[in-house]
Amino acid sequence: MNKTLKIKIFASFMLLIALLAVAGIISIVEYRSLSKSFNMLIQDNYKSIEASKTMLEALEREDSGILLLMLGDWDAGMKIVNYADSVFLLSLKTAKNNLTETNEEIHIKNIENSYSTYKARWKRPIVDTDKQGDISWYKNDIHQLFLTAKISVNELMDLNQTSMYKEASILQEKSERAIMHGIVAIISALVFSILLNFFITKYFVYPISELANSVNNYRDGENKLRSNIKSNDEIKKLETAINDLLQRIVKNNK
Amino acid sequence: MKKEIIIKHLGFVLMLNGLFMFISFLISLFLDETSTLPLLYSALLCGIFGVFPLIFVERTENINFNEGLTIVVFGWIITSIAGMLPYIMWGGEFTLINAWFESVSGFTTTGSTILNNIEILPKGLLFWRSSTHWIGGIGIILFVLLILPQAQGSRISIYNTEISSLSKLNFRFKARKIVHVLAIVYISLTLLETTMLTFFGMSFFDAVNHSFATIATGGFSTKNLSIAEFNNLGIEITIMIFMVLSGIHFGLIYGTVMLKKENIFKSSLVKSFIIVMFIGILLVAFKLYLSGYYNWWQSLRYAAFQVISLGSTTGFATQDTANWPIFTQMILIYFTIQCAMTGSTSGGLKFDRVYIFFKSVGKQIKMLKHPKGIFVTKLDDKRIDEKLEQQTLVFVVLYIFTFFMTTFILTALDIDGMTAFSASIATIGNVGPGFQGVSSLGNFANIPDLGKFVLTINMLLGRLEIFNILALIMIKK
Repeated sequence: MNKTLKIKIFASFMLLIALLAVAGIISIVEYRSLSKSFNMLIQDNYKSIEASKTMLEALEREDSGILLLMLGDWDAGMKIVNYADSVFLLSLKTAKNNLTETNEEIHIKNIENSYSTYKARWKRPIVDTDKQGDISWYKNDIHQLFLTAKISVNELMDLNQTSMYKEASILQEKSERAIMHGIVAIISALVFSILLNFFITKYFVYPISELANSVNNYRDGENKLRSNIKSNDEIKKLETAINDLLQRIVKNNK
Repeated sequence: MKKEIIIKHLGFVLMLNGLFMFISFLISLFLDETSTLPLLYSALLCGIFGVFPLIFVERTENINFNEGLTIVVFGWIITSIAGMLPYIMWGGEFTLINAWFESVSGFTTTGSTILNNIEILPKGLLFWRSSTHWIGGIGIILFVLLILPQAQGSRISIYNTEISSLSKLNFRFKARKIVHVLAIVYISLTLLETTMLTFFGMSFFDAVNHSFATIATGGFSTKNLSIAEFNNLGIEITIMIFMVLSGIHFGLIYGTVMLKKENIFKSSLVKSFIIVMFIGILLVAFKLYLSGYYNWWQSLRYAAFQVISLGSTTGFATQDTANWPIFTQMILIYFTIQCAMTGSTSGGLKFDRVYIFFKSVGKQIKMLKHPKGIFVTKLDDKRIDEKLEQQTLVFVVLYIFTFFMTTFILTALDIDGMTAFSASIATIGNVGPGFQGVSSLGNFANIPDLGKFVLTINMLLGRLEIFNILALIMIKK
């Protein structure tokens, strides 16, 4: 196929555009993936970790309320316990609506089960019963249930924390990768420019100076244009046209 | 020398890389892996840079020897740079120098790795890693059998000694036919090994990757424990057979397949190559058995695999040779230095040169006894001319000088003697594993960056033969 200068220039720029477009698209995809990971980190794991922390706090408050009940202070004890219970259930609902990890649902179920067993104990009256002031009941029964509930909440928090650290390291890797893509794009564009410069000099500039030289040589006495243009493009056509013109002038002069 | 022709051919090399990167990309895309984008981007870049010169450079006449040599030397460098792209863009353990090391090690079919954990790599990237071996392997075959024979009577005339009639076929008229035949032999061996490995229980993916690494005498495995991971005798024997085949002159394999006069059964070089390997296996096996390392059967099994693996410059492993007796390590070092045959996918010193070297030494000893006698060195009833003998001796000296220089540089970087020496000979011979710190089941991760770079120069020198680099420098001047 005879490639004209127009085609050569057009094809080169199309390749350059392709190079830049590919670099651009890859960067967009990488940054989208980065922001997605960031979102996951903040929204998914952090939300569940916060909910777990609130649950742990609520459990601690409930425990204080139970101690007040054991001391016979019904009003103060029930006020604290009921408030802590509502906070706990609200946080549990948040965690339940934010299932993002595998096995997270199992952990939520464990919390629900252990908490309902624990709650069933303090829901029954303690004040004015034989449990009031019974420290061994507290130690062996209710405190054990409190610890079980706490452990199950801690497990949920661990799961999300581990996943958060993992996601953070992936995020770091992704950002490094995105930077590397950028560096490769810049270097590629530079190399492409150097090559384009080489080809333009070789195939555009050099033939034109060749043609100019041969015109000069003709002027200095040669009877035909002798340029070394091997391509089959507009410059070759120009050479042929000049040659024809010169031949015609010579003919007319004769 | 026409630069545009060289650039155009380097573009073809990039397009071949791009094709394999694209296949790796498809694997990653199918498996939804993290290497999908790096592989796609690398493939597109290779494609763009490969097509670019075609816009300008018109259909050209045949390339001359100097241009051919320049294309090959720069081809290996450009291809190694392109091969780094998927690694550095993927990240993980691949720093800039690590990616360069892994890429050069792949294309030169060395098989040394800087990876501590290979199995963590996405499958697409693992396939690309093995592909670098396969591309490098076919590259060297075409280079040695098609381009070098053009330099008739030149300093590289060692290539004309073994299968002269094939080597002397005129490149311009018969090239296409030979390329087809060699490509068929190369691909057939790969397919055959893949089928056999799959038959013996290897997964198809692992079988393809290990076949790529075997036929190219590379050594990259998809497993941290290399072939030891499979602990399967069928797999080991299959790989051993193909390692030996890949260490033999491909022209001779072609001759055997085409029922020609020059075939592997009639070549005294092949005979000697096999006999030396057999003696090596027996010595290593006896020592392992007598030292109480394994029972007799195990000693033979592990010794055979390790000797063939290093003797063919592949570098797979079934045992960690770092713990073996020093005598066995010395034998393995001999095989690491000796390397396989010219015209195979192996690099380094080459068995042919060692053979001529010892014949020449024998001749010199005879001459001491009969100073006025006239002796000739022969190979398969063909006379080896004095010039070639001298060139071989010079090459051997240059080769030894190069790996000693590398050893000095590595020891200057506080690397212990055995690690430095074995890493030097294993990289210049394109073998892969060495001993001590870089043993058969180890890696090169702990070598300092400068050391890694020096070792990659070693790999390229071993792959391109020191003489070719010297020739290129002379041409440039």
